[in-house]
Amino acid sequence: MADPRLFRLRVVFVKQGRLAMLSHLELCRALERAVRRAGLPYAVSQGFSPHMRIAFGAALPVGVGGTHEFFDLFLENYVAPDKCFDALKAASAPDLMVQSCSYVGHSAPAASVAFPVCTYRVELSAVPSCFVTPEEVTVTRKKKEKILSVAEFLVEPVRFDEETPSVAFFALEAKPEGSLRPDVFIKSCIEATVASEGAPADLHVLTLTRIGQRSLSGEELA
Amino acid sequence: MLKTDLWPQLEPLLARIERPARYLNREWGCVYKEDADFSFCMVYPDTYELGQANQAIRILVNRVNAVPGMVAERAFLPAVDLISLMREEGLPLFSIESCAPLSEFDAIGITLPHELAATNVLEVLDLAGIPLRTVDRGEDCPIILAGGPCAFNPEPYAPFFDAVTIGEGEEALPEALELIARMRAEGALRKDILRALADVSGTYVPSLYRWRTEEEAQAAGSWAEPVVEGVPELVVKRVFEGFAESNAWEPSIVPYTEVVHDRLNVEILRGCARGCRFCQAGMMYRPVRERSAENVVNAVLRGLSETGYDETSLTSLSSTDHSQISQILTNLNSACAGKGIRVSIPSQRLDSFGVEMAGLVAGQKKGGLTFAPEAGTQRLRDVINKNVTEDDLFSAIDAAFSAGWRRCKLYFMIGLPTETDDDIKGIASLAQRAYERAKANVPDDQRGSIQMSISCSVFVPKSQTPFQWDGQISPEETMRRVRLLRNSVKYRAISVNYHDPKTSFVEAVMSRGGREVADWVESAWRRGARFDAWTELFNQQAWLDAAEELGLVPEKVAQAVYDTSYVLPWSHISAGVSTRYLALERRRAGEGVITGDCTFGKCTGCGVCQAVGVDNQLMESRAKEEVR
Ligand code: SF4
Repeated sequence: MADPRLFRLRVVFVKQGRLAMLSHLELCRALERAVRRAGLPYAVSQGFSPHMRIAFGAALPVGVGGTHEFFDLFLENYVAPDKCFDALKAASAPDLMVQSCSYVGHSAPAASVAFPVCTYRVELSAVPSCFVTPEEVTVTRKKKEKILSVAEFLVEPVRFDEETPSVAFFALEAKPEGSLRPDVFIKSCIEATVASEGAPADLHVLTLTRIGQRSLSGEELA
Repeated sequence: MLKTDLWPQLEPLLARIERPARYLNREWGCVYKEDADFSFCMVYPDTYELGQANQAIRILVNRVNAVPGMVAERAFLPAVDLISLMREEGLPLFSIESCAPLSEFDAIGITLPHELAATNVLEVLDLAGIPLRTVDRGEDCPIILAGGPCAFNPEPYAPFFDAVTIGEGEEALPEALELIARMRAEGALRKDILRALADVSGTYVPSLYRWRTEEEAQAAGSWAEPVVEGVPELVVKRVFEGFAESNAWEPSIVPYTEVVHDRLNVEILRGCARGCRFCQAGMMYRPVRERSAENVVNAVLRGLSETGYDETSLTSLSSTDHSQISQILTNLNSACAGKGIRVSIPSQRLDSFGVEMAGLVAGQKKGGLTFAPEAGTQRLRDVINKNVTEDDLFSAIDAAFSAGWRRCKLYFMIGLPTETDDDIKGIASLAQRAYERAKANVPDDQRGSIQMSISCSVFVPKSQTPFQWDGQISPEETMRRVRLLRNSVKYRAISVNYHDPKTSFVEAVMSRGGREVADWVESAWRRGARFDAWTELFNQQAWLDAAEELGLVPEKVAQAVYDTSYVLPWSHISAGVSTRYLALERRRAGEGVITGDCTFGKCTGCGVCQAVGVDNQLMESRAKEEVR
């Protein structure tokens, strides 16, 4: 649906603090409203119910924050990126603050699939003595149970921070046929860890944040 | 000043409940005033989704925040899942902005949006750790105020509120709060503050009145006997005289989670004088006051750019009656063209002009249209003073279906005074003929897509209306009439929906009851009744058991029919429309005589303009629309 007359503005923002608890739908609506408040010349789709031409990056679950989230906004006219940035800044809630604006080409992959490899940072309530990563995770989708093999998705294993040992990092890859949600993954890790007495029973996640997104060829979202 | 921040206790609970976004605060447009000396919390007694867009909450929070030294925050009743967790963890009800316990506020205002919110009021107070009854409240306790539509019969809530504002709160609430603030600063006793509140015009302080027996009341002409010298015998509603000139842009908070009426609502006029005899709003919000087209259009444009909404609704009781509606819509359409912004008007007038206006806002997307003939026969429409004819309806249908609409919902009431089986059959007949008209206006190959539905609610007699003396029919009789209606509708393309008569019954008791009904509410709540307006949560057994315990016969309250000379339990409260006029209107109803709309013709003598000292304020003459 690339329309060469439009300008494709990539907006990077944070999702943090209390607003990490927004669902993807709530987040999308909040961002669209920020764009309208910013007064940017957004393009509008044709048809029965015209709406803003905007494309969002891969969804985050409720409760998961992000330091580099993004959306692509299609503009009718060219507006200098720093002007867009200033306008969006004035129109954004602090916990959804815009970080940068830049134009990308129309041939760039669609926002939702552009960066399938995501790195997460998890902060736990305690330091586990022995952290267990299960081989399989059972998820329920549309009331049906499905078993996912962790190795298929986990491209960088859980690695604890040396200075802050309650903090760990890992990376998951989204597959066209499905993906393993970071919150679901880390929850099964905690269950497996507690079951093998690697940590006390009240071990839980304090914060979970997506800190990086990259393409299969390793190109990072700026 | 607010001291406690409950967020650290609330946050861990949010991972365990649905839709945490409703409790997060930090919405766009919130006001924080950390150093205010006096704090007020405005409460909607239902969940955030239902209350966030409520006009009373929005306006009153803004008005109080405009007072130097005062802060207003919002609170809502959490959903059942969070309430249970809060009770388990001992977390009291909190405000949204500061996450402060309600008990720390100097005053709390609870709006009473409809008759089924009473048990939720008790749930709010209890969850906040505030004694339910004014007699049990100590000096440290916030002053508990009420207002809203149900305040026009305040008695079923009387023991729970320290003071009740009757009518529009724009000026009355800040006045009451300034009084409370001043007296609290002087160290006044609670009882002295309540006594002083009774002197604020439009304020009813129930504890200053003794409740008479029926016999005493009929002899005295009022059920409420002042027990303190100088408190008013009759409390007349407040009207915001400056409404028409005031800025139509009312700053608005933009929620994250989806809520009802989630759009930029701009109130374009207040009041409706069409004079439907069952309608409380029509009596409550008189006189009619219009804001100018320029004021409205500027407010919409400013509001859209400040909130980022993609939809605006021009709200009022009868938006298509605004004398400049066509100008407003045309101007907005050209200002919003190409931005993907939708403009909507909530209720259409039942004629081709109403459809023309709906067409102005619909653009290419034509969803459903809703019309409210309310009654199935001309005889009954004359009784209720719904001044629309079959021809009005049919010309609206012609206009709508030839303009491209394919869905239409028709609203009716069942159980209106004087209704007979012929009137019920008349609903079916009217809907069927409307369906035929719709078909005639649609190309052959699209006829299958026509949807027409009949939606019925049960008549609930409301205080301050000509039908206040009339009873509600029993739930069993309602169901009989619904069955009769279903059997009378011969077309399968017409669906019939109806409102549950069990909840309408409780509504009628709350609408017509006196102070004795408050015990019923409390007992039902103690037995688990709450969220009564949510069909799936309505606990009928709790209400039945409560009535039995108290020896109250709710059927009598809901169903008794009185002569217009009978003194009703709200006769000490006045919407400004005289009881004599209401009685006259009731008599005309019996005779099938209709009464005109004073905004299109001459004054019909309801008395409100004299009682409140405000006249109808129209931007242009409305009469010209009538000749179309
Ligand atoms: S007093 Fe007359 S003009 Fe005023 S609202 Fe009543 S009927 Fe209309």
